[in-house]
Amino acid sequence: MTLAALVGLAAGWELIGQLDVSMFVPPLSRVVATSWHLLGDGTLTRAAASSLLSLVKGFVPAVGLGVVVGLAMGRFAVVRYALDGWINALMSAPLSALVPILIALFGVRDTVVAAAVFMFSFFVIVVNTSTGVRSTERSLVDMARAFGAGEAALFGRIYLPAALPAIMLGLRLGVVQAVKGMVVGEMLISLVGLGERLIYYGNTFLITELYAVILLVLVLALLAGSLAQACDRALVRWK
Amino acid sequence: MPAPETDRRPTAADPVAITVEGVSKAFGAVQALVEVDVRVRAGEFLSLIGPSGCGKTTLLKIIAGLVPADRGRVRVGDRVVAGPGRECSVVFQDFALLPWTSVQRNVEFGLLLRGMDGRERAARARAAIAKVGLGGFESAYPAQLSGGMQQRVGLARALAVSPRVLLMDEPFASIDEQTRRVFQDDLLRLWSEERKTVVLVTHSMEEAIYLSDRVVVLSPRPGRIHQTLEVPLPRPRESADVRATAEFARLVDGLWKVLRKLQ
Repeated sequence: MTLAALVGLAAGWELIGQLDVSMFVPPLSRVVATSWHLLGDGTLTRAAASSLLSLVKGFVPAVGLGVVVGLAMGRFAVVRYALDGWINALMSAPLSALVPILIALFGVRDTVVAAAVFMFSFFVIVVNTSTGVRSTERSLVDMARAFGAGEAALFGRIYLPAALPAIMLGLRLGVVQAVKGMVVGEMLISLVGLGERLIYYGNTFLITELYAVILLVLVLALLAGSLAQACDRALVRWK
Repeated sequence: MPAPETDRRPTAADPVAITVEGVSKAFGAVQALVEVDVRVRAGEFLSLIGPSGCGKTTLLKIIAGLVPADRGRVRVGDRVVAGPGRECSVVFQDFALLPWTSVQRNVEFGLLLRGMDGRERAARARAAIAKVGLGGFESAYPAQLSGGMQQRVGLARALAVSPRVLLMDEPFASIDEQTRRVFQDDLLRLWSEERKTVVLVTHSMEEAIYLSDRVVVLSPRPGRIHQTLEVPLPRPRESADVRATAEFARLVDGLWKVLRKLQ
């Protein structure tokens, strides 16, 4: 079903492109060919490598810290009361508005892109982890305590595995946010990687090349999402 | 208090009994239990019954050390309860199985938390699984089992740590009637073999009469001991057709007359 919809969309795009309705809709086949060409001559490969590095440098700490903060918020009411307001505000705020602050903190070097990736993906991971911990069955906790479990055993053997499906969902949503953060960071702040290419091709009206980069970003986002989903399936086989 | 006519009457020499003295508990403005006194003899099968809101589950959790009492004191054996202890195992109404792992690992869980090494743990768990009649299901996951089988896993996990006291919180409430009757007989058989002290919370009058030596009736809001009934039915009950006897019917009816006034 999804595949049929995608094929239909691609066919429609190709048709409109071939009819030459607008210079802003080049045929899909030409976009794909350009993608291939730009990857082949190294232009996009270098840009994509730089982008991926920023993605990893931002997303890995977001996962690590996000899960820890989420676990603490889920388990301890004090932590939750202290952070809930901030997390909710920052999660619903348009994060692009924080760009000037990021520039002030990290300058316009590559690290600022990683920082943007972190900012975009961190909160959804925190909120999902916290929700997962809080929805742990009460009786499982009672059961473990009745067998003498202390706080560490409760965390490791009850709360963490019980929250794992929610944590993995947070990772899947978070990785998509991370790609958004990457593109925003590269376009609005640092002008490196794929974002820089988007700006460059956009400003010079190389529309086919622009679409070629967009296509690559989409593929990257889909791949990252699938990777997160594969991790989810591998870790949460019991659901 | 005369001992019931059983083939395995508890003796004063048994080291573990439960003493509940003047226990009160409130949740916010709601008084759950007031001045509750209960003595459970070692090896006795005792049921707590009463309308919902009578605090019977709260009392069980206080005995288990899961909920602190506001006033009063609970002793299990020589130990004054200040938290969960090694003498007690709890069986939960919703089974409380870890859904992410196998029957074997679930039954090992209590042994794992008490620091037993892997090989002995596996052997003890397998023995407990066989004892409750689930041999062959070690690698199944809880979701693959029926409710009755899941509760057998819960019972195996409780028995695996060799507790002297078994605390059961409406263990048969979410199991269908036919399965329940077979399970009750198996529980009685295990109990007579292992000589545990059992405290069972239930809302089923038939269940309380069929299983127990004594039935403690709690009144609701606030929860107090209303009355204690002896169940002089002969044991073993699981082989004889006790449920069909006039005496059984008379005892259930007597319990109903007590409970009806509390509704």
